[in-house]
Amino acid sequence: MNNANVTLTLAPAADTCRPLALTPTENLKGYLGAHLGRGLLFFITFSSVLAVLLILVFVVVRSGAFFSTSSIVEFLAGRDWRPTAQEPVFGALAIIVGSLYVSFAALAFAVPLGITAAVFLSDIVSWKIRNIVKPFVEILAAIPSVAYGFFAVLVLAPWMQKHFGFSTGTNALNASLILAVMALPTIVSVAEDAISAMGRELREASYSCGATRFETIIKVVIPAAHSGIIAAIVLGMMRAIGETMVVWMASGNATQIPHPWWDLSQSIRTMTATIAGEMGEAPEASLHRSALFAIGVLLLVLTLGMNVISEYFLASAKKASGKT
Amino acid sequence: MNQRTRIQLDHLFTAATGASILLLLLVLIAVLGPMVYRGSGAVFFSGTVEFRKMQRDLFERADQPALDAEIAETEKVRQAVYEMIDGFKKDMDVEGMSSQVRQIYREFGEELRQKDVPAEQYTKLRELTRGIRDKLEAAFQSQDVNEISRTVDEVLQYADDPRLKDTSAAKLFEIARNFLQAAQRTDLAKHHEYAAGLQEVERILFHSDGLPGLLGPRPNEPLPLLVMLRYGATRWDQAQKLLDRFLWVEQWVQTEPGRPLKMQRTPRADLFPESFRPLFTYVEQNAGGMLNPISTVYWQFFKDDNANSHYFGGIGPEILGTMLITVVGMLFVIPLGVISAAYLVECASDGWVIRIIRMGINTLAGVPSIVFGLFGLAFFVLFLFPLLGFEPRPCILAASMTLAVLTLPVMIRASEEAIRAVPQSYKEGSLALGASRFHTFTAVILPAALPGILTGVILSLSRIAGETAPILFTGAVSLGAVPDSIFDPTRTLSYGSYDMAVGDRLAMMVPHNQYGMVVTLVMLILILNGITIVLRWRVFKKLRGQ
Repeated sequence: MNNANVTLTLAPAADTCRPLALTPTENLKGYLGAHLGRGLLFFITFSSVLAVLLILVFVVVRSGAFFSTSSIVEFLAGRDWRPTAQEPVFGALAIIVGSLYVSFAALAFAVPLGITAAVFLSDIVSWKIRNIVKPFVEILAAIPSVAYGFFAVLVLAPWMQKHFGFSTGTNALNASLILAVMALPTIVSVAEDAISAMGRELREASYSCGATRFETIIKVVIPAAHSGIIAAIVLGMMRAIGETMVVWMASGNATQIPHPWWDLSQSIRTMTATIAGEMGEAPEASLHRSALFAIGVLLLVLTLGMNVISEYFLASAKKASGKT
Repeated sequence: MNQRTRIQLDHLFTAATGASILLLLLVLIAVLGPMVYRGSGAVFFSGTVEFRKMQRDLFERADQPALDAEIAETEKVRQAVYEMIDGFKKDMDVEGMSSQVRQIYREFGEELRQKDVPAEQYTKLRELTRGIRDKLEAAFQSQDVNEISRTVDEVLQYADDPRLKDTSAAKLFEIARNFLQAAQRTDLAKHHEYAAGLQEVERILFHSDGLPGLLGPRPNEPLPLLVMLRYGATRWDQAQKLLDRFLWVEQWVQTEPGRPLKMQRTPRADLFPESFRPLFTYVEQNAGGMLNPISTVYWQFFKDDNANSHYFGGIGPEILGTMLITVVGMLFVIPLGVISAAYLVECASDGWVIRIIRMGINTLAGVPSIVFGLFGLAFFVLFLFPLLGFEPRPCILAASMTLAVLTLPVMIRASEEAIRAVPQSYKEGSLALGASRFHTFTAVILPAALPGILTGVILSLSRIAGETAPILFTGAVSLGAVPDSIFDPTRTLSYGSYDMAVGDRLAMMVPHNQYGMVVTLVMLILILNGITIVLRWRVFKKLRGQ
């Protein structure tokens, strides 16, 4: 891209994004260089989109063999997952329910804690203290998932088995507690952004009406920031449902729908753990492998859907904070 | 609502928010604390003489003369243990004694024939010794001490017989005496229990088929095939666990019906006769002398390969593999990320194209890591590699590329933020001086944005180093050679941590190595993240200052 000298000789201030001087008739080489360069940069930038498309295409193509031979209804509603039986059965309902089950349990722990922590950072303490505390929350997000899984298996599981009298320490409670810890940093940071984006005026108006801080936050700030908080919850949910290592190591991997539903001490199995655990044993070009890719498709659809939802709420949060 | 309750509610709320943050910090401590504490045991511990032997044999790392002296010293202390065990074995070895007696009887016959003893005397002596033999055999069969002492006394009457003195038959009396002593020392009815107990003692002290012992194999014993069985307790904490198992028998007993079983500890010495009990006090008191623990800093943990699936050794290949994957991944992600960010900030003008690109980046950030693994397998390994003529198998290159795609959004967002943070006046000034846009970007904006971009680089680094799920099918193995090229699969810290956490019983026996592996990974990532936090803070302050 040697167009600097060229353009200078033409017109001193012409080298901007507007192709004022660089018309093909005047300077073909410079024109082509600038446009090819831009094209190349655009192509590189477009690689992110390309990656998403490739992910979609390749995961869907690999699952094609499964979807063309088995019925989707059976896949989504069947409770039996016996991939290695003489006549393999691929009913993923228990696995799908397992994924949602731990994710919602994790949210049940993480959301109240995350929002109160976000309020603490945005409204209770000074900017200085916030800047000291925030990195510690970020560290929670930085710890790799395999380390959390390690902690779940070797520290938390024996501890729960000993103190709560569970038959096994690797169960839905263990997995959802750890997932809650992993989802917390996301929830805290997005919710904090949303809450602090609600401007000073809003709070001062509330205070001037005689409300306490508690009332201001609960009745005014949080309702005003609700779209950002919903986005935070959806993002936390995405983190929980897509997490692999922790659930694989800590959930016990038993293909069953918990019964009774509130009993968290049972082992369950999730979509991510099924893919991670069975891929190594599934022979290439087998129906089993294709079924695992089908679970991948399902996971992808779920997270893409949630992504759209979170984008929507983030956008409306932006709008809301713009108004106030 | 009354004013006071309102105010109290307000205080309560403030306290609750504070408590939630405190809880978060406590969780952080609860997760990291035990890991760091136990993981540091992989490097800092009290190493025994067995550790130094292992280091010499496996890693050729020893001060030979000093080690020889140390081994001689400890063997001297151990000698007493060997002797006590051999002595007790001899006491218990009734079958051995009886075959010895038969042997002596036969030898005596030979001796008589060689001496040309007259036939009459020959038969007499033969009969006499046969009688002694049969009596002893009867005594060996008996389990009643009184009966044994009577029979042995009868036999010992002939001890002073001049015809038998100074012949091989004299040994019979020695055996008889020893046997009587042994019978008085041990409870003959319990011989089977003793034998089983002794076997267990030997297993704990030396080694069993699958587990190493406290002292390692005896000096004259052939070396076991498994490397881990060739050494005793290499660490003093391990030695103390084994010592505890040696001194105490643990049993789960039912105290009351319907209640959970309770653990009961009884001294192992109680299982044995009085004569053998000194062994236990000796071992307890001289464990230090037999193993010679010295505090050790095993920094080579970060360099050494392991033996016997991480029973001995370190995590060198895992660190190397993680570094390789990270470096190769960064080669892809840095140019892609910085150029994308530059385009988004500097050139992008058309609305909907940029919207699509941004949506792509956000979507990419939301894809679950395991799906990246599926994608890496399906696209890089099974599609792209055969297309380019590479062997379609998981390898470092595939893992790196998969992780590069995964971490691209992190890189783009951080770089974009950094580039956007460069004051507009820099750019305007440069353009006003007549520099081209490209020149302005490379010479003015990029250097100013560099610290921020570096933050993105380090964040991506830490993400790549820590991810496990995407490399499960694209390049990570739990065991295998150190890779020769980027077309080989490799061991990594992340996959190794998984493997050791859920691994076999063997891994559970070396918690220091388990925790050492995972804490190395966590520390690596925390240090990287710490650097980004500091960097970001400095950039923030600098931009504010202007």
